[in-house]
Amino acid sequence: MLDSRLGILGLLSDAGVVVLMVLSVLLSFSIISWAIIAYKFGYLRKSLRESKAFLDYFFEVHNIDKVFTESENFRHGSLPRVFRSGYIEYRALGDKGDIRLARARIARAVKREVNAENKRLSALVPFLATVGNTAPFIGLFGTVWGIMNSFHTIGLTQSASLAAVAPGISEALIATAAGLAAAIPAVIAYNSFTHKIGVIERDLEEFSPEFVAAFINEP
Amino acid sequence: MKKGQKLPYAEKNFSLWLVGAAAMHVFVLFLAVSFQLWDAGRHPKPKIVTVTLVSLPGSGASREYSDHEGAAGAVVAPAQAAPPPPVSKKSVKEPVPVPEKSPVIPKKIAVEPLKPKVVEKKPDINQALLRLKQNVDKKTAQLPKPSTTNLSNALDQLQQKVKSAGEGSGTGSGRGQASSSAGRNGVGRGSGGGGTADSYKVKIASIIQQNWAFSKQLLKNSYGMEVYVRINIVADGTIRQILYDKKAPSEYLNNSVKKALEKSSPLPLLPKEASGGDVWIGFVFTPEGIE
Repeated sequence: MLDSRLGILGLLSDAGVVVLMVLSVLLSFSIISWAIIAYKFGYLRKSLRESKAFLDYFFEVHNIDKVFTESENFRHGSLPRVFRSGYIEYRALGDKGDIRLARARIARAVKREVNAENKRLSALVPFLATVGNTAPFIGLFGTVWGIMNSFHTIGLTQSASLAAVAPGISEALIATAAGLAAAIPAVIAYNSFTHKIGVIERDLEEFSPEFVAAFINEP
Repeated sequence: MKKGQKLPYAEKNFSLWLVGAAAMHVFVLFLAVSFQLWDAGRHPKPKIVTVTLVSLPGSGASREYSDHEGAAGAVVAPAQAAPPPPVSKKSVKEPVPVPEKSPVIPKKIAVEPLKPKVVEKKPDINQALLRLKQNVDKKTAQLPKPSTTNLSNALDQLQQKVKSAGEGSGTGSGRGQASSSAGRNGVGRGSGGGGTADSYKVKIASIIQQNWAFSKQLLKNSYGMEVYVRINIVADGTIRQILYDKKAPSEYLNNSVKKALEKSSPLPLLPKEASGGDVWIGFVFTPEGIE
């Protein structure tokens, strides 16, 4: 009666050590997943929004000095960052007579920043994939272990009545439920973030040569 | 250099989200527990209403049917539900037409022992005791009060009988002896039955204890772990019926008791004093043993 009243807490207090360990691992997975989801959600949203606004400004204004000044307002966007690194390299060039050399150096600087931006965008996201893939199995492990124990107890008590069997299985199944609760949001967020990162990466690939050309062709 | 300045900011930002996520999980857990408590409070457990079936005198139910139910312990529940030693139930059971079955049962049991029928009974002992008291009070009120004259008359008659018996034995033969032996038989049955029943009870208790496979360590909580059980033993020692007066909260204990009783059947033959019917014997099973 008391256990049934306490519900979740009752199940946790009756669970075995292995099931509790599994639950704590899943809880930590879930906490980290949600932290990544919240952090990445804001990061990617800002990056997409600022990149779009910067591109609009870039195609409106043809003076790269003005664009660079404006890009300081878009600190979180990926495209403004790439543009700034190209601009810094362009200004660092002493001799601008050799256009081929200048283009190569600027292109190299832009590519390096694109790579860095890709890494920054996809950081922590693989953890979501890991949680999405492994959490159900970890939960299943806890369930299997709990059911094993439950059957062992049934063997000892020599009673296969529902009252003897059901509590053990109920305790064991909470591990699978926790695994699914950790995995489902992680998988959803992973798919969403992968799509957004893909969009930003395509923008970076397409507009990087435009930036290099803008520096070289500057009057 | 720039990266070195940015990374701590990103890490700090992420740490904040981590703390936020942990707080969110605690909040969700708290919400789930409080929702369960609220839901449990909203749907209180319905009170158990005990309904006792009563067969009215002269109703459509046949005597055979009512007797059968009496044996099962359902219809006469108020009278049978009392916890005192079930040996006294014998007096209640006497009208049951046992002799028809008794010659058949031993033959069957010799080959395959009867499986005792288990009847679970709701614990309405207090209610039943109250009813029993009321019934007894009513009956005693209806009975005519014994007057002092009646008592003295009875004493006179008894003295005359004793005198005549003395004369009979002095003068002659078998008549006096026959009457006295009959009297002795009557007394012997009444008083001696209890003694043999007690020794018999001890004997079968030890048998049941030996067959009782139970481990106290498997019980998480031993509070209130008592099983009040009554068994109906027929003349050949077979347990015909197992009746739970009170069950323990642990199914394990209840089942172990049932198994022990089933395993112990057939028990030793009933003592001769108790022959002519079945006997009800009650036990209390606790994790410490049989009482």
